[in-house]
Amino acid sequence: MPAFDIPFFGTLVLSLILISASYTMAVAMGAGQGRPHLLPSARWGTYATCALVLVAVCVLAYAFQVHDFRIRYVARYSDRSMPWWYLISSLWGGQDGSLLWWAFLLSGYTFFATRWLRGRHIELQPWILATLMSILIFFVILMLFAANPFATYIRTTPGDGEGLNPLLQNYWMAIHPPSLYMGFVGWSVPFAILIAALITGRLGNEWVRAARLWSMIAWTFLSLGLLLGCLWSYEELGWGGYWAWDPVENASFLPWLVGTAYLHSVLIQERRHMMRVWNVFLLALTFFLTIFGTFLTRSGLIASVHSFARSDIGQYFVWYMGFLIIGIAALIIWRLPKLKAENEIESLMSREFAFLLNNWVLLGMMMFVLIATTFPLLSEWVRGEEVTVGPGFYNKWMAPLGIVLLFLAGLGPLVAWRKATGSKLLRAMAFPIGVGVSVAVLQILFGARLGYPPIIEPTEIYDTTTGTVLAWLSAVAPLVSFATCAFVLASVGQEFWRGMRVRMRKGENAGTALLRLTSKGRRRYGGYIVHIGIVFMYIGFTGAAYDIEQESALRPGETMSIGQHTVRYDQPRMEADPNKRMIFTDMTLIDDSGNEDGQVAPAKFIYRTHPQMPTTEVAIRSRPAEDVYVIMSTVDPSTRRGTFRVIIRPLVAWIWFGGIVLLLGAILGMWPTGREMLREEVARPGRFRFSPATAVVALAIVVATMMAWAGVASAQNDSSSSLHAGSVVINDPVERQLFGRLLCQCGDCARLPLDTCACGWADDKRVEIRSLLAAGEEPTKIQESYRAQYGAKALAIPSDKGLDRALWAVPVAAMVFAVGFIVMMGRRWQRRGVAAHTAATAAASTAALQYDSRLDEELDRLEDS
Amino acid sequence: MGDFLPWLFIIVASAAMVAGLFSLWLSLSLALSDEVLGGARAALISDARLTLLAEKEALLQEIRDVSFEHDADKISDSDFEELNEKLRAQARQLLHELDAGVESFRGEAEALIAERLADEA
Repeated sequence: MPAFDIPFFGTLVLSLILISASYTMAVAMGAGQGRPHLLPSARWGTYATCALVLVAVCVLAYAFQVHDFRIRYVARYSDRSMPWWYLISSLWGGQDGSLLWWAFLLSGYTFFATRWLRGRHIELQPWILATLMSILIFFVILMLFAANPFATYIRTTPGDGEGLNPLLQNYWMAIHPPSLYMGFVGWSVPFAILIAALITGRLGNEWVRAARLWSMIAWTFLSLGLLLGCLWSYEELGWGGYWAWDPVENASFLPWLVGTAYLHSVLIQERRHMMRVWNVFLLALTFFLTIFGTFLTRSGLIASVHSFARSDIGQYFVWYMGFLIIGIAALIIWRLPKLKAENEIESLMSREFAFLLNNWVLLGMMMFVLIATTFPLLSEWVRGEEVTVGPGFYNKWMAPLGIVLLFLAGLGPLVAWRKATGSKLLRAMAFPIGVGVSVAVLQILFGARLGYPPIIEPTEIYDTTTGTVLAWLSAVAPLVSFATCAFVLASVGQEFWRGMRVRMRKGENAGTALLRLTSKGRRRYGGYIVHIGIVFMYIGFTGAAYDIEQESALRPGETMSIGQHTVRYDQPRMEADPNKRMIFTDMTLIDDSGNEDGQVAPAKFIYRTHPQMPTTEVAIRSRPAEDVYVIMSTVDPSTRRGTFRVIIRPLVAWIWFGGIVLLLGAILGMWPTGREMLREEVARPGRFRFSPATAVVALAIVVATMMAWAGVASAQNDSSSSLHAGSVVINDPVERQLFGRLLCQCGDCARLPLDTCACGWADDKRVEIRSLLAAGEEPTKIQESYRAQYGAKALAIPSDKGLDRALWAVPVAAMVFAVGFIVMMGRRWQRRGVAAHTAATAAASTAALQYDSRLDEELDRLEDS
Repeated sequence: MGDFLPWLFIIVASAAMVAGLFSLWLSLSLALSDEVLGGARAALISDARLTLLAEKEALLQEIRDVSFEHDADKISDSDFEELNEKLRAQARQLLHELDAGVESFRGEAEALIAERLADEA
């Protein structure tokens, strides 16, 4: 143990950060209030604060490496047997450290943003710095007064630490949280730019342009974080899925939905100087949701497999969120006169209106997820009854909304800005619709034979008309989803082709035309590539409708068959390292011709520090058509008999592939133009300067490194772990529907329905319910008696009556109202837009015509750049 | 690697501490100095002009996009002519404003230089 008092020094540095950030905020505000000579001082203060945060992180990292168990956080999240890389990832493995990590990432963003701002947006700059400092101050206050990562034990210091949770000792955990935090924290910079614009009243397009790159960076990292989170869930939690609509997953999905809406909506403002209030609202809401998500994760208010322990930092977040709501609302109301639109929508058949519909669906999805995530809390507060909203509810409601959103992703590119000509739009839609319909017909004719039937068996979440409608919507969802995917791919492909044809008419060959088209319209075509990535991901999501699952007990040499596969159990094998004992079961996959098709080795790991919590390591054999997902439930050391659960998951690999395409599209969209890079060089020849170019290059490097790391890690170890050590057998659709509605009540596996939970309690309960069903008991009666026995929280989905109905009725009502409002306003804007357009054209005719030739020169220059 | 890392963290923390304290000292000395930076005011002027230039770039981009969409057969000839003329008129107006603005900027810049020279004298 080092003699140096690390805990005291760490806390001292945190105090210094608070002082430095407060001082910098004050100086920056002074600079913003008519004393511009204070601006350089504020910039240096910002650098100082960022450097001090780096000191704090290094001190904690040092404490982990030297096992300074005087620090409570170090003792709780590490032990002496852990390798150095897990000692680094322990920095964000617990609540207190993750707050410091958050502050560190924020200081990184702040540092680069301050560098980038040099010589730019002089009037906005002081307020941007002040806002960023205010966010940092909040997190430092949290650490100093509620969750100090340098806090020590009051009495004795333990000889060894408790070790990191085995579930977190995984390569995905090394990259998933940092990436997700990068996405969350990244929204602070565009938010700070927005606040600066509101305070200074400079609400034209300046702030939008300034925030553009930073919003894209944050969105890209958030997307990457969500994707890696899905991978972690798929490989690590071992339940066979990648998204469980867990509150913490939802918390990171909410800002993504609103951020995506903002990225589309802000394009309207950039081009048409419209929707200013809406864009301000969306960006502020995105930032607010990042804080809200952090609150949900850290307050412990909502049960989740991801969340940190219940703590009193929730009240700090409540105060901060209250301050944010009041402050932002006051600023918007104050600046309403300056947020008036300069233009109106000229036609409902325009890209602008398609974006409005896109915003409508995204915000509708956000409403569903937000209300469902917070419903358990609201129910407890309003009527004192605990309820649970399980994945079944989300899957049923989000699938149709998701398909509408997907359709809009294909429709949007076909529609022209301002005003599409009706006949031309119909002609443009003919090919994509033809492709979509053809795919649907092919699936109807041949789908069942190929293992992809167009309609799947309907399962109802409610015994009401709503339940029946939802069941049928989800039953036809695979057919509609594949057809819509084809429609979007054809639409985007056609857009590329039409653009290439324009260039080919000027004499370019197809390859050059494609290259120049993409390089000159990076934002547009980068966006289209993102849409292609989304389509691939949807193909993967749709594959979930065709999952097959089977469980068998085997002796070495015996086989089990599932789908087109046969799985042979070869032998058990034991290995050990200083950290854990590992029991592997070697298995061979055999294809339908009887040839060996690869090896897998599902396992159980028993960690030295958590012997009571053996983890189940799944083994996955991934191919584009399907994944073979093998879980070893039990193995008897004396008889060597093992119990295995095998899941065939069609098309899952398309999700990861789509994610990579999405990220590449996002990077292309951000890639700076030659002029941007040239301008930087002209401005400061021979000196490094943070520019969009360097930002994008840095982002590309980070993303590429993460992916390479993920690839290497995946190649090194093709298995992962799980909390669940048992198995689930479902015999028929009635069982599946009923078990899907009932949650396990063993006390350890909250939120897991009986059709998924593999613990002993759930197994016993399934046996009991099966006997009731065999005796002729109605499933609804069994459900009622389960509710009476364990309370409303034991049902995976609240009922469809009384206050429970608000769960879906409120978002549906809001969406119906919103679409009516959008259409009504669209028509009104259209009428006013046409009138304004006529007036503008008349006024324009008198404008200085002598600039015509110069305008042509400028356009030629733009074309050549 | 495990033996080397603690030293790496100590070195980085020490360097960051020195950089942080130096930046803080620099910030304080700048805040407490009486010097009024003419550059800041000049930057404000150039900032306003840069905003106009950015608007011009956006407008040019929009003209190019409308033309592209017409070439890609998304907009009819009549709709294109109407839109294109409107956008070109706005762009001409902006070019005119930029030209007119140069004169006032020049006046302000000259006044700033004179003021600065007088201060130095």
